[in-house]
Amino acid sequence: MKNNNRFFQKNIKVLSLILLSVFLSGFSISKQDKSFQNDLEDNQAKPVEISSRVSPETGSDIKDEAQQMPVYGNWETFTVKDGLPADKAYCVRIDGDRVLVGTSAGLAVYENETWKTYTAEDGLAHNGVLSIDVSELTGDVWLGTLGGLTRWSAGRFETFTQFNSGLANDVIYTVICDGKDVWVATGGGAGSYDTYTREWGIYTERNAPMHEPWTYGVCAGGGKIFIAAWGGGVIEYTKETKQFRDYVDPDGEMEIDLFPDDGVIHDITTGVTFADDILWVATYFGLSRYDGTRWKGYLDHDSGLVSNFINFLKADGPVVWLCTDLGLSSFNGETWVTYRKNENNKKGKIIITEGENTKEISSTTSISHEFVIGVDTQDDVVWIATSKGVSRGEILKDLTAGL
Amino acid sequence: MILTNNTNVMKNQDQKIKLRVLVLTILTMFFLFPVSDLNGQDKKLNYGNTTDELVPYGRFQKAYKNFFDDVQPFTGAGREKVPPTDLTEVRIGFLGPLEGSILTPLGIQMLQGASFAIEEANNKGGYNGIPFKLMPHNDVGLWGAAANEVVKMNDEKVWAFLGSIDDINTHVALRVALKLEIPMVNSGDPDPTLTETRIPWMIRNIADDRQSSYALVNHIYREKKHSRIAVLRANNRYGRVGIMEFRDAALRYGFPLVLEIRYNDGEIDFATQIERMIKSSPDAVVLWGNAKETALIINQMRQMGMEQPVYGSDRLMSKELLEIAGENAEGLVTTCQYNPTLDEPNLVAFNKNYNERYGMEPDVFAAHAYDGMNLIIEAIHKAGLNRALIRDLLTDHKTFQGYQGITGELILDPSWNDIGSIWMTEVRDGKFDFFPTPPLISDEQENKKSTP
Repeated sequence: MKNNNRFFQKNIKVLSLILLSVFLSGFSISKQDKSFQNDLEDNQAKPVEISSRVSPETGSDIKDEAQQMPVYGNWETFTVKDGLPADKAYCVRIDGDRVLVGTSAGLAVYENETWKTYTAEDGLAHNGVLSIDVSELTGDVWLGTLGGLTRWSAGRFETFTQFNSGLANDVIYTVICDGKDVWVATGGGAGSYDTYTREWGIYTERNAPMHEPWTYGVCAGGGKIFIAAWGGGVIEYTKETKQFRDYVDPDGEMEIDLFPDDGVIHDITTGVTFADDILWVATYFGLSRYDGTRWKGYLDHDSGLVSNFINFLKADGPVVWLCTDLGLSSFNGETWVTYRKNENNKKGKIIITEGENTKEISSTTSISHEFVIGVDTQDDVVWIATSKGVSRGEILKDLTAGL
Repeated sequence: MILTNNTNVMKNQDQKIKLRVLVLTILTMFFLFPVSDLNGQDKKLNYGNTTDELVPYGRFQKAYKNFFDDVQPFTGAGREKVPPTDLTEVRIGFLGPLEGSILTPLGIQMLQGASFAIEEANNKGGYNGIPFKLMPHNDVGLWGAAANEVVKMNDEKVWAFLGSIDDINTHVALRVALKLEIPMVNSGDPDPTLTETRIPWMIRNIADDRQSSYALVNHIYREKKHSRIAVLRANNRYGRVGIMEFRDAALRYGFPLVLEIRYNDGEIDFATQIERMIKSSPDAVVLWGNAKETALIINQMRQMGMEQPVYGSDRLMSKELLEIAGENAEGLVTTCQYNPTLDEPNLVAFNKNYNERYGMEPDVFAAHAYDGMNLIIEAIHKAGLNRALIRDLLTDHKTFQGYQGITGELILDPSWNDIGSIWMTEVRDGKFDFFPTPPLISDEQENKKSTP
């Protein structure tokens, strides 16, 4: 007994030191490492050190992939004060030297550093422009509005509605051009328009494996059309065989995700995008990735995704852009980069996440609003549409994301 | 003695040292393994008044993520918008089946309930002296009409809207409401999936089919001890989605349905379906659909010799059903989202005044529309003319949590679904006799009962 007491008395300081050091090391490996502050505010963008290691999951070198993950900054914001018809912007599309923005009060075109607005008075189906795409074949601009589909061709606006065409519904959430075909996702089903034969196709629960008639997003890629069917997961249409199939949440329950990577996270899908043979699916419950064989889910509590509430998404090569209600996230399969506003001032925050490690960088400029609704990228530039204004960012050449 | 004192002192020191080591160890473990670092969700909350036995996969697997443990905020802009100063009326939208649908009688009741609330509000001076004006829209028409109608409401500059009854139309409307950021109150669609969309622009002030299903499952399997249930339901979304929770709950209690078959709206001959039900030897039948067809089914069931007890969905609590089914309806048990016969002064006054105003008794859709419209009116009074601020009040789980309407107390869960009380009815002597839904009987209670 005495010996034991002596042992404790002698070693208490040593034991305390050991426990304290373990305790402090607990801090150092915790997820949020905010000690790093890259001083972008002084325009001294410094490359973040990237450690080279091989991913056990993919066998690829994370350093190589991370180096491909650009970081954007130098945000410039445009609002009504700068010439936009409304602050609320639904979508944005870069078209060569000009930028097309769909707002709640018309189409705004940015060219030669000035904005020009087109409204229903000019021939738009409705002033609320929800989606824009440009045909690679003809250069025609297709506009999905709250009151029909509009084609802007050679300076003329032509409108398609339920009354004069085969549109399933006049609320066009998404429009895309796929060769000569135009696809739409509407409040009453998906639709296709063959611009050569002028034939329409309507796809609903009556002729496609949809649970419900309403659709929200559509994209093309890999010889297929993918439809985000609100309440019905993702509908895949193979153009060659004209066959449909669906991808739904395997657990069949709306209130839970039973297993993380068993399929699309939720049946309420809000958008789809396809690039580099990867299908990305947005929901208000998280993000799903499908490589043709396996599904992988990303939630705000287990990844760098800033919010599960994803309004829109767009893939550009290996990088997918995610418009959420808490900012803009981007992801290349390994590294997340999120752009947010600083709550206390007009500055921005760049949050880089790789695995369990996170770093936050302060930036002098910021996206115009954290409620991001649309995005488009081209070359070194990204444009976003938000709840309050439009922002343009550019690649910070000396900075790539990595930890 | 000195030795004893020394021993005591050493013992005390020893205990203090051990205590320090213990505290340090606990602190170290706490910071080394913070709970928030766990990937799976550890928080245990049963969504939608679901008992442990009825949690999806709950007997076998904990879900990786429960989606409705928290509230989805609206983080967009709009709260800073200054209200207009030149208004001559404060417009509130209405979306319902007003023409061209089998639901039109329900839609008319809903419209009358909403109009009645508007009239009362205007009699009290409107909004700061400006009258409220209801902007009615029919959700039946061209494909996806509801979407187009909500856009029209936005063009009309409504501050909020009430709608609708049909599942599909209400879902479509909600999606547009989110895009256009118009606060929405749903008073007539019990589809559980409506509020499971995570859209922070709508609240529902009527109990959903999940609550109806739990009440029925408890009554049928645990109280009445039936075990073989056949279901005949409408081949529409109300029937398909409505029965979903009942089917799942029955399965989780250990009683998979012996049969589930459908009929189309407007059918009048159900002999084929009833023959199939007879062959399945059920000890009770559940009917999920509209009143008219269900009444015809009950008549034909009795004609064909089926004497089994019949249970049904909320829409069966209808005067039309009693008129068509007559004595055959005796013993029918349904759920109902409120009790119109309660001796509550506000409810009694509403029933009387509504009857005088419209020459008919209010139904469940009229009563809930009246409450729903009053929620909108009160939110406008408190928030002012700003959609985002009106939304904030409707969804804050404070301002209207526990709101006492004529249909009862409003309790909103994190998805803004009304999980307040639900009632049950039994047809006795040609009338619906209301009784409160008994508490759900757990497995443990059930096992205790069956163990001598």
